[in-house]
Amino acid sequence: MLRIEKISLYHFRNYTNQEFSFDKQIISITGKNGSGKTSILDAIHFLCFTKSYFLHIDSLVITNGLQGMRINGEFRTDKLDTLTCIIRDNGKKEFLKNSVAYTQFSRHIGQFPCVFIAPDDTELITGSSEGRRKFMDTIISQLSVDYLDQIILYAKILQQRNALLKQWHLQSAQDYPLLQIYTKQLQTIGHIIHQYRIDFCKQLATKTNEFYTYLSEEKEQVIIQYQSQLESASLEDLLTQNIEKDIRTQRTNYGIHKDDLDFELNGMPFKQAASQGQRKSFLFGLKLAQFFIIQAQKNKSPILLLDDIFEKLDESRSHKLIDFLVKQNAQIFITHTHIEQVKKTFKEYQDQVQFIEL
Amino acid sequence: MIFSSTLIENCVNEFSKLPGIGKKSALRLVLHLLKQDKNSIDQFANAMTNMRNQIQFCRQCHNVSDHEICKICTDFSRKKKQICVVESIRDVMAIEATQQYNGLYHVLGGIISPLDGIGPEQLKITSLIERITQEEIEEMIMALSPTLEGDTTTYYITKKAQHLNVKITTISKGVAFGGELEYADELTLARSILNRLPIVDIISN
Repeated sequence: MLRIEKISLYHFRNYTNQEFSFDKQIISITGKNGSGKTSILDAIHFLCFTKSYFLHIDSLVITNGLQGMRINGEFRTDKLDTLTCIIRDNGKKEFLKNSVAYTQFSRHIGQFPCVFIAPDDTELITGSSEGRRKFMDTIISQLSVDYLDQIILYAKILQQRNALLKQWHLQSAQDYPLLQIYTKQLQTIGHIIHQYRIDFCKQLATKTNEFYTYLSEEKEQVIIQYQSQLESASLEDLLTQNIEKDIRTQRTNYGIHKDDLDFELNGMPFKQAASQGQRKSFLFGLKLAQFFIIQAQKNKSPILLLDDIFEKLDESRSHKLIDFLVKQNAQIFITHTHIEQVKKTFKEYQDQVQFIEL
Repeated sequence: MIFSSTLIENCVNEFSKLPGIGKKSALRLVLHLLKQDKNSIDQFANAMTNMRNQIQFCRQCHNVSDHEICKICTDFSRKKKQICVVESIRDVMAIEATQQYNGLYHVLGGIISPLDGIGPEQLKITSLIERITQEEIEEMIMALSPTLEGDTTTYYITKKAQHLNVKITTISKGVAFGGELEYADELTLARSILNRLPIVDIISN
């Protein structure tokens, strides 16, 4: 059982200095728009992933006009762990577990899994492929430290290779052997990552379908298809054959950094075919599949952070979702603008809910 | 800072250009020098100017040297057919301090990193290949840091030397001496297990 029992926020987003204690399985956070509901969820995400779910630049999480920030949280599994993240006045970030600082933040990922569901997540379906790769990476990284290491290394090699291609543009002498070395390095790591993604997508497809039909009560089939250039040929061959294109465009045009996930409903791309409601059901299907895959492999339920989701779901779907999650023994954080609504949704689990009103 | 002497001020400014030295430390050093007798200051100043003016980089291995060819390259007792390839002069010093190596060196002057604008042509790679051919080197030991850039450089040089009749080896990577196994990072430990050694070899060595 993974539980967060206490969190204190200093200069984090809406909070200059505040502490919250959580003592139930379900925590309902209600308040007006802009009162800081999402900030609490984001702080929890921050402690699990060493970064914000929404803001990609660390300095942006610091309360406007103030300097430095600190989040401190107590997590209980079979023992109590204290996690601390500090951003100093000079912008330097430190991350500590039980007062011991991490030298590599990536070593922290996966120890305290959590799943975030936010209204903007439909971007995952409608947005660019980058979001979908990030979705895969976030989940697989929590399951395998090796995957995370490989992804980081791949990005570094890619950066070097692109930098080399850019330099070629400026100078006449071109060093093919060096480019070949980067190509070979990408080949080795690219295919390891590719294999991880194939395995993961199989699981994701099955689980998402299960939850989609469970939530929507419809018989439609959703198909998740992993798309990669590496399916047709080895990365080394692709890069060698298309070397001219790389040189012309000054970047690497083939590789797992071009992967994508295709979502289909009844044989049509999901973006076009699906209604708003179907999209939501599908999104929840994806996220629950994520929850389930992590749970199965880690043997503990990830913390669920549900941001303003009941606006989007009708009552019967909300009920089903809650029923399912409570049974999984996961700690659930829910934000909403109206406390009555939450009370209604959770009336069967009243004694398991802690209400926080902001 | 306000000085009553421009001589002191100039000196403080010069010192504070050094890495890790601020205005206050610079002043402390300058005032210390002021207390010394004039002879020892001459010595101090001469040491610095001589160092910069007279230092040479060894024509063979690009290590720092007092002469055209450095002490290591001219040392008769050293194995002339073995070259250890390192990134910088500091690495030569580190390996020399172990007293376990008795061959020659080759200082590259950096490692390949296009991101930082360092390509193979900025490094002493051509002269390395020439040395291997001309001096009939038998073994080349790659002693570069186990980072992406270090590895890339190792692969690159290996590729360039592939057609030559030279044995190419690399320093072994693994668990640190005197380190506790449980504190070793996972990647290092995983590599150490993959590249494990038969104990017989260890004993006979």
